[in-house]
Amino acid sequence: MTRRLAIVVMLASVSAFGAELPSAESLLDRFVQVSGGKQAFASRKSEIARGTVEMAAMGVKGSLVRYSAAPGQSLLEMEIAGIGKFLTGSKDDVAWDQSDLMGPRIKAGLERAEALRESKFNATAAWRELYPKVVTTGEESVSGEDCYKVSMTPTEGPAETMYLSKKTGLAMKMAATASTQMGDVDAEILFLDYKEFGGILTPTKSVERTAGQEMVITIESIEINPDIPASKFDPPAGVAALLAKLAR
Amino acid sequence: MLRFWIVLASATILCGQARTAADLAAFDQVWSTVRDTHWEKTTPGGLDWNAMRTEYRPRVEAAKTTAEARAVTQEMLRRLKQTHFGIVPGFTYESLAEEGGSGTTGIDVRVLDGQVVVTSVDPGSPAEHAGVHPGWVVRSVNGKALTVPDLPELALTRAMLARLSGPVGGSIEVVFDAATLKLSLTVGRGTLAEFGNLPATRVWYEERRIGATAYVGFNVFMDIPHLIPSFEKTIQSCKPCDGLIIDLRGNPGGIGGMAMGMAGFLVDKANQRLGTMFMRDATLNFVINPRAEVFTGPVAFLLDGTSASTSEIFAGGLQDLGRARVFGTRSAAAALPSVFTTLPNGDGFQYAIANYISQGGKALEGAGVTPDEEVKLTREGLLNGHDAVIEAALAWIEKVKK
Repeated sequence: MTRRLAIVVMLASVSAFGAELPSAESLLDRFVQVSGGKQAFASRKSEIARGTVEMAAMGVKGSLVRYSAAPGQSLLEMEIAGIGKFLTGSKDDVAWDQSDLMGPRIKAGLERAEALRESKFNATAAWRELYPKVVTTGEESVSGEDCYKVSMTPTEGPAETMYLSKKTGLAMKMAATASTQMGDVDAEILFLDYKEFGGILTPTKSVERTAGQEMVITIESIEINPDIPASKFDPPAGVAALLAKLAR
Repeated sequence: MLRFWIVLASATILCGQARTAADLAAFDQVWSTVRDTHWEKTTPGGLDWNAMRTEYRPRVEAAKTTAEARAVTQEMLRRLKQTHFGIVPGFTYESLAEEGGSGTTGIDVRVLDGQVVVTSVDPGSPAEHAGVHPGWVVRSVNGKALTVPDLPELALTRAMLARLSGPVGGSIEVVFDAATLKLSLTVGRGTLAEFGNLPATRVWYEERRIGATAYVGFNVFMDIPHLIPSFEKTIQSCKPCDGLIIDLRGNPGGIGGMAMGMAGFLVDKANQRLGTMFMRDATLNFVINPRAEVFTGPVAFLLDGTSASTSEIFAGGLQDLGRARVFGTRSAAAALPSVFTTLPNGDGFQYAIANYISQGGKALEGAGVTPDEEVKLTREGLLNGHDAVIEAALAWIEKVKK
């Protein structure tokens, strides 16, 4: 989910559509540049984002707080009326989640790889590290705006497609097959309402569509470089108990 | 997936073009939702869906009241011949929120051998205070004889319970075979829980010990923040138990994911699943995450024809995995995953979005869960304080306990 907010892109080497398409590398570098530039990303070491989550069609609403810190620590806390708490996080190569509904769980396989990739701090600027292969594959309109399509293949997992605005250079949409414990699902995320936080443009609204459902995440505030105790990213007791059980 | 009792009642009458437009918009949303989400992409329920619109839309347009328009839309949905498609009148939300339309005496009933028999009485309820006893036969309510129509058990039981309900604060006169009593109607057992667009629902959870066996029951799969921790507490306190009985008789289902979450307390092996949900654009496995503390003793589920949806997914999946034994009678066979949204005219709309196949390979919709041991309640047993289904489960646990 919010992982996608941070995901960014990569190099294109060979364009299937010929020389008129810009390279994926140049498009992704432009995205970094128009978002605020490498310097702005480099000066950011941690953040706390607060916002809301809503599945309007079902009348489900909740709040979220996302803590993240370099190099790759993350914790997302969501609370939804009637569903309860949902926590997901990554630290030291361990990716986990815990919810009132499903209990604690350690992620494995592609799902773990995706989670660790998404928890990479300043992932937008780190696309070369995250995606060894990037290719510009075509052009397409997203929400009435002309975009370049860039296919980004991570070290582990299937390629993701990023749609970058020709006009602004910003990411407008992402399409990917997400690995979940319930199976692989095709997901599409629209990035909307970019605003500046600490010198970096960030989409404050993302619309995620998957399995026939739509979820809207709205970011209301982002605190830049707050002091977040390292223990904040420790797995909660339920996850720690599972880790201990696995270690036995 | 959300499962909820669909309440049909007379309509809120609004006048003029605004009502018609809202009802038409509601119809259009219902029709297009089925077109866009039904897992049978080209012919939902084997129907020519465009032809359905041609047939029913003019009738909605000609309807004189919202109730009439709603009935036409319901008729179209019934043609699908699938559960979990239905409309909840808009006023139902208000009446439930005000606790005004869901008054109960605390009596639960089933039709046994053609008679409406009290099967349980809620603790602390008006019926208990009045001395109503399991096994009593209900003859009439408010002067009207209780006739038993030929309906499936789920619909039949709901119809009988509807006769025994009314506005909170009111009362009904019930003629039993043993007594005639005036019973007051109260809000009923449990606490009010809300989830999205669903009408608010009262949720209760019961736990007790029968000897060294733990018995739990709950009325609906909702209110995750309270129900799952309650179940967890039962499991944690049950380490020395001989067995666990989960009574889902009368439980119509609810939030489907709760079946997965609760199964995690009962299955210690990784990579197990209860079944698979087949949507139009995705196939989702109902996976089980083993918890850190798992109950490994014998598990018995109690089902009957009023156990539906998530109840069937939970019990049927664990039965298929060989982790639980099912007692009672065949479940309701109403197990399509669905979601619940609101319509432009204020009504609620529940629609199925997927087919569901249990881990053993059978579709629960239309087939239900077949008990390993079929046990029927009897009036004589209830009168003597016996629940034959619980007793069968206890006997099995006694036999297989370590």
